[in-house]
Amino acid sequence: MAKKMVVFCGSDEPQKAFPPFMLGVGAQAMDMELMMFFTMNGLNIIRKGGAEKIKLEGAPKTLLEFIDIVREGGAELVACSAAFSIVGCKEEDLIEGVECGGVATFVDEAEGADIVLTFC
Amino acid sequence: MATPEELNQLTADKKVDARGTPCPGPLLEAKRAITSVPMGGVMEVLSADESTNKDIPRWANKIGHEYLGTIEEPGYWRIFVKRGK
Repeated sequence: MAKKMVVFCGSDEPQKAFPPFMLGVGAQAMDMELMMFFTMNGLNIIRKGGAEKIKLEGAPKTLLEFIDIVREGGAELVACSAAFSIVGCKEEDLIEGVECGGVATFVDEAEGADIVLTFC
Repeated sequence: MATPEELNQLTADKKVDARGTPCPGPLLEAKRAITSVPMGGVMEVLSADESTNKDIPRWANKIGHEYLGTIEEPGYWRIFVKRGK
């Protein structure tokens, strides 16, 4: 079975929003499965029109391109429903193809993962 | 591993110029390009990002390709990988 990396994306600050994807594409290149869990301000990354506003000069790709690349590689993108009311976000605000999950989803995935990274 | 002289004599089946992009760009380009190299064929990656010299051999080893070696040129590196999978 393929090894798995789980990334906790809790910030929309560019220097915290880009590394999950930079390392995520690296994990996929190394034949690992990738699951990304977006919570708190990290939800802005997967809000419709959100990634376009988060820019990091010197990064090899835009955030939108990174999202496309990890998805082409089969990444699961999960939005933390526990943070929806805190940051004022609804499921329909999110880009297509994102699943919603609660805290147990993250804990269950993290428990079974080979690598867990946290950016917040 | 091949010597620089041996590497210089290789004809790559696919050459990827990733000199304009920082990490992890060259790795992404290598990953994409190797699929168009015939099994047992050679890919040459040009990178100006020094860490790619360490990343490509690790990636190749993990995936089942063979890292053949690197030639250092002024300001960039030529990294050779033989497709194994």
